[in-house]
Amino acid sequence: MSLSRRSFVAGSAAAAALGGCDQGYSLLSKRLSGGVPASFARPDGASVDPDFFLLQRTSFGPAPGDLDRLRRAGRAAWLEEQLHPERIDDAACQVLVRRFESLHFSPGALFEFKREVAEDELGRATLLRAVHSRRQLYEVLVSFWTDHLNVFQGKGDCAWYKTAEDRDVVRAHALGKFRDLVRASALSPAMLVYLDGRSNRKGKPNENYARELLELHTLGVHGGYTQQDVMEVARCLTGWDIQEGWGRGKVVFDPDRHDDGEKSVLGTRIPAGGGKEDLERVLDLVCRHPSTARHVAGKLCRRFVADEPPAALVDRVAARFSATNGDLRETVRETLRDLEPGPLRFKRPFHFMVSALRGLACDTQGKRSLRRFLERMGQAPFQYPTPDGYPEDPEPWYGTLVWRWNFALALARGEAPDARPGLRDLAPEAVFAHLAGRSPSEEERGALASASSREEAVALALSSPAFQWY
Amino acid sequence: MDTRRAFLRSLCFGRADDSAALVVVFLRGGADGLNLVVPEFEPEYRRLRPTLAVGKTLPLDERFGLHPGLEPIRPLFQDRRLAVVHAVGSDDDTRSHFEAQDLMERAGRPLEGASGGWLARHLRSKPGARGAIAAVAIGPTLPESLRGAPSACALESLEEVALPQASPAFTGALEVLYRAEGSGAGAAGQAALRLLERVNLAKEAKAPEGYPESGFGRSLREVARLLRADVGLEAACVDLGGWDTHFAQGPLFTSLVEDLAGGLAAFAKNLGPRMEKTLVVVMTEFGRRAYENATLGTDHGRGSVMFLLGGPTRGGRVVTRWPGLGEGALEGPGDLAVTIDYRDVLAEALEKAAGNPRTAEVFPSFNPTPRGLFA
Repeated sequence: MSLSRRSFVAGSAAAAALGGCDQGYSLLSKRLSGGVPASFARPDGASVDPDFFLLQRTSFGPAPGDLDRLRRAGRAAWLEEQLHPERIDDAACQVLVRRFESLHFSPGALFEFKREVAEDELGRATLLRAVHSRRQLYEVLVSFWTDHLNVFQGKGDCAWYKTAEDRDVVRAHALGKFRDLVRASALSPAMLVYLDGRSNRKGKPNENYARELLELHTLGVHGGYTQQDVMEVARCLTGWDIQEGWGRGKVVFDPDRHDDGEKSVLGTRIPAGGGKEDLERVLDLVCRHPSTARHVAGKLCRRFVADEPPAALVDRVAARFSATNGDLRETVRETLRDLEPGPLRFKRPFHFMVSALRGLACDTQGKRSLRRFLERMGQAPFQYPTPDGYPEDPEPWYGTLVWRWNFALALARGEAPDARPGLRDLAPEAVFAHLAGRSPSEEERGALASASSREEAVALALSSPAFQWY
Repeated sequence: MDTRRAFLRSLCFGRADDSAALVVVFLRGGADGLNLVVPEFEPEYRRLRPTLAVGKTLPLDERFGLHPGLEPIRPLFQDRRLAVVHAVGSDDDTRSHFEAQDLMERAGRPLEGASGGWLARHLRSKPGARGAIAAVAIGPTLPESLRGAPSACALESLEEVALPQASPAFTGALEVLYRAEGSGAGAAGQAALRLLERVNLAKEAKAPEGYPESGFGRSLREVARLLRADVGLEAACVDLGGWDTHFAQGPLFTSLVEDLAGGLAAFAKNLGPRMEKTLVVVMTEFGRRAYENATLGTDHGRGSVMFLLGGPTRGGRVVTRWPGLGEGALEGPGDLAVTIDYRDVLAEALEKAAGNPRTAEVFPSFNPTPRGLFA
């Protein structure tokens, strides 16, 4: 999709006329979403409610009314709907996000924007979608693949190209075919810059991308490839470049820079003279490799099921991945099919923050002032420099508790910049149940009662160990 | 009761063992090792640098002299608390700042089992529990070396470690909730609450004096306050930038050198006996060309210096396998060659000073050579 700036401005004039500013968009969004329901279901058992658990795992945390929606539809139908985000009306979220011009621009045209503007708009859109979208499973998967195919905005032109990559790679294929996803990533200007694919050329191979393709994106570190495979894959991928000057941002193949000799990848001969088709051969080999099925299945199971998922489940999901030729919708469906409450996972800072904003039905514009909390906690979007993506295990994040408590206090007291809670009158114990998916224990009840105000009790619920897990 | 307290103490304040906290000072931009610690015995030095050669140095031994701006740290060398490693650097010959700093701070590749930064891997592999602030970077963001570190945070000052809006009832309730939590988060939460108490005490104490009025001086002061507060800090990163002296190196370099030495001297004085449990490592991504350029500066080179201060450092020595500055001895376009790998120094520091015997997990693809830097 490519737009000129002028036609975009004309097109969005109507929306702007409704308010012309953040407040206007926010009002319109609330009208479209129906706002905070007057009453909504809250779990009341002593342990985490199974429906709540499903919601927790497939979203960035339940907002008021989500549990009712899931129960009305039934678990299976609800999950099916989430697996088809295009069937979910998301106008309330789109009103908030679509107005960011840069999101609609082609890679080359993105340079019309100042670096800070491009980075800020994508950062805002990312937070706003996570908070406001009803396509929550899709947003969770977008975040999953964003880490899997990590691109660091801080490296050179990635500040601009990441915007196009987010749209054309991750969002375009998050529930599509794995091979399409990896191919789009391989040929995205963002990845060609980030992992130096553009400087990989005949006679002067750069192995950076080839290595991460095998190690992180497909087979996995113990997936059974060798250093020789890395070098051969790098040779196959020589010649891809990004146009500069006229036509800037366009990805092109230069046969003169391509190493057209014979290669051998993972034991398969790739004959000389393949040209740009070498890339397709490599993608076929790595995407169909059984190690890739296991690697992707293992990561999905860790994200959605448990830090240490049952081996039988990983096998089953890997088999589904292979049988469907890497159909991600089918693979995710298999992962979630029999999801039952099990060991909880520690929320990463982004998840923590978004779940708090959703839980309290906050009105936010996703501005930098709010995202600074994420920077402080070390998980601002697209700011992870190494290709392995933000870590999934809990230990690296335990040290962020003090900052979580500060955010909870500011948010509950209505003092957080750019975030006002819409859920205002509910009693602390009810807020706790809504946030944690179960009624508070004796100790938790005592702790909530000891707070010096309702706001502080709500902050306590957000700060409690219970809310750090999902 | 006592055992429980000891257990919690080890969680909260870490370093129940005797190991030293690491303070890594990164001189960003490629610091000119040849003008920091001058090879006075080397006839080529003054010939290659007709204008930039340091006029009168402060002798360290028969061979090397310190830049006069480093005067404040010379007594530390004489007291054998400070050591210099010379012609040290990376085996990678990229002369790009971005790449060289990244490589040095990661000190390994993910494929070799080395994801994230070297300090992060140190903290992950080091035996024992971590406190709530095991590592800090003084600045707006975490440096590469701390990527993926448990309990690491970036701070501008100690004042940020606070819950300014919380009532005593709130922190009391947190205490109850996190004590009842069985997971690792429970221990982490309690450690965070202890940290806040400790930091509050530190804030009440008089702010240490004697540091240079510079970003670097303030950063070292904050690290000293944290160390003195006994919060279990195991690693701290402080940057001093501006060493990329392509043009008019003289005055620029001198003020940086003064800042560096003033900060280190104030830090050592401020910590006093605690310096025995603190090791400062000063490093840079690469040195500069042996000969000066046409704009009275120096271009990107290879070997440079590292300083080691405190802890079990066998100080008072310039440790080097001097490669020479003569014809044929210089590397590439005319650079001091690297004859000691920076990972030799770091691995030895981790093992001998920072209490981490598992250095193979920190530098998985590298086989370090001991250089006898520590007692």
